[in-house]
Amino acid sequence: MRIKRALAITKRIFRGLRHDRRTVALIILAPVLAMTLFGIAFSGEVEDVDVIVVDHDGSDLSNTIIGNLDEQTLNIRFMDSEQEAVKKVEDGNAWAVFVFPEDFSQNIATKNAVIHLRGDKSNVNVASAIATTLREAMTETLTQAGGEMPVSVSESPVYGEDAEFIDFFVPGIMAFAIFLLTTLLTLLAFVGERTSGTLERLKASPMRDGEIVLGYVIAFGVIGMVQAFLLLIIATVGFNITIEGNPFLAYIIVALLALVSVNLGILLSAAAKREAQAVQFLPMIILPTFLLAGIFWPVEAIPSFLRWASFAIPPTYGVEAMRSVMVRGWGLGEIWMELVVLLAFALVFMILSVKSLQRGKG
Amino acid sequence: MSQGENGLAVETRGLVKKYGAFTAVDNLDLKIERGETYGLLGPNGSGKTTTIKVLCDLLKPTGGEAFLLGKKVGDNSIAPRIGYMPQETALYLDLSINDNICLFGEVYGMSRAEIASAEKELLEFVDLTKWRNTPVSNLSGGMRHRTSLACSMIHNPELLFMDEPTVGVDPELRASFWEYFETLGKRGATVVITTHYMDEAHRCGKIGMMRQGKLIAEGSPQDIIQSTGCGSLEDAFLELARKGGHHAD
Repeated sequence: MRIKRALAITKRIFRGLRHDRRTVALIILAPVLAMTLFGIAFSGEVEDVDVIVVDHDGSDLSNTIIGNLDEQTLNIRFMDSEQEAVKKVEDGNAWAVFVFPEDFSQNIATKNAVIHLRGDKSNVNVASAIATTLREAMTETLTQAGGEMPVSVSESPVYGEDAEFIDFFVPGIMAFAIFLLTTLLTLLAFVGERTSGTLERLKASPMRDGEIVLGYVIAFGVIGMVQAFLLLIIATVGFNITIEGNPFLAYIIVALLALVSVNLGILLSAAAKREAQAVQFLPMIILPTFLLAGIFWPVEAIPSFLRWASFAIPPTYGVEAMRSVMVRGWGLGEIWMELVVLLAFALVFMILSVKSLQRGKG
Repeated sequence: MSQGENGLAVETRGLVKKYGAFTAVDNLDLKIERGETYGLLGPNGSGKTTTIKVLCDLLKPTGGEAFLLGKKVGDNSIAPRIGYMPQETALYLDLSINDNICLFGEVYGMSRAEIASAEKELLEFVDLTKWRNTPVSNLSGGMRHRTSLACSMIHNPELLFMDEPTVGVDPELRASFWEYFETLGKRGATVVITTHYMDEAHRCGKIGMMRQGKLIAEGSPQDIIQSTGCGSLEDAFLELARKGGHHAD
């Protein structure tokens, strides 16, 4: 193994980028765009939900509860007829109706007071936001009336104080962008090597198969780290995310993930005769990563019979490690297991990708 | 088994390459002297390219043995001493001529100064000096062929394999390619060329005619023509194919 020969391949990849603005744009703009769009789309809370209040009671108590409803979350309208209000929900003109019965305040003393909620629960996020807002308004009213819950919760988070959904989500999208783009770029570049005959030419030279793979690993590892740098800048500057842990450790995770991805790309290229065939692998890469790697929802939310699949794909470990470093502030001592698993994936894929180059000899 | 440094440039003994039930190279015995310009001649599918690929260690033989420059094919010390020009141009289209040549120079372990010197000479020969910094994607087919030749020659190999180097090349360029191959031969390099152009084969010192993976005749073009009593190599090939082949020497 001669590092100089591997570096010749690395240099050739970077030299090629000088004349290939489209690929440079893909390398830089795609992760930036993905991060920005996902960041903006997922950073917001549910707001401006149309609800109708039908207050048959008209007491101070019902007025106080209505007054305590969060007007940022809910757009409140009032109607007299419950039937007409429900019709609005049925027609899709409102998400829910809060009905305060005539005897609402009278029944408080006997603990039989009920607020009827007639809602459209077809959108679980909206339905959940409505229920939460109503519950909070009731709790607030109880507190104002001098009532107290017999039990209170004193919250002092171990990790993630002030963390919002975007803090959970950004490490995931970083790992996803780097895994997907590195695999895709390597796959396309290597299929190009195979179809153009340059791979054959290299194999007829003193270049060893492992040196070709190493040359690619170095090039795309560097590209992955540049992408990670851009994403970290956007995350911290654009979305005001604080990186609790060591950013250098985040780089190590990115480099390992890029290492896994490069070798996966080379491995997959062995099964594609043309670039068009290589593109057919994309759903195989995107879907499991998107759905199972814990980017948008925790792995614990995936049904237990399918959870093994989450642990069978490398990005799961990249996402978990990135999140632990960025949100929990964990160090090497805590995330070493994820790093070892990523390294093991990288080594296995590297051995298989070198074997796939040798298999071409037939 | 080593054949020693003074052995033949190329030697195969009972070389066989099969793809499933199909036999691409069938019990091939070749002996090519050092400094010889040897043409492997035959129609498409006769096994020429497969033979070259086995010799360049790009394909594993199913049977038999092959030696290059006295060493068994697969020996790591052979690769730096041979050159290979594949049938397709096999260049990085997004790189310039200079970048392509430099890459292959670096792959062969040459220093920057060595690459610069060899590149200057080669580009002058293939008449591409003024296009040196042009991306290969902007070059014509003929210019790409010339660049491909320069990449194969950058490390001044002792033994050069060229797989159909003149396919798709205009007659003027073909003539200049052959002049260069002859120059290489005079410098002591061994050149093995596959071609299905019978007229080109006349310029080889020795030719081996292949059909269905077998060597059906071997010798100088004149010897083969005389021994078959035909007027041209093309007629000689057809005659030999009908009879099942023979060796002129």
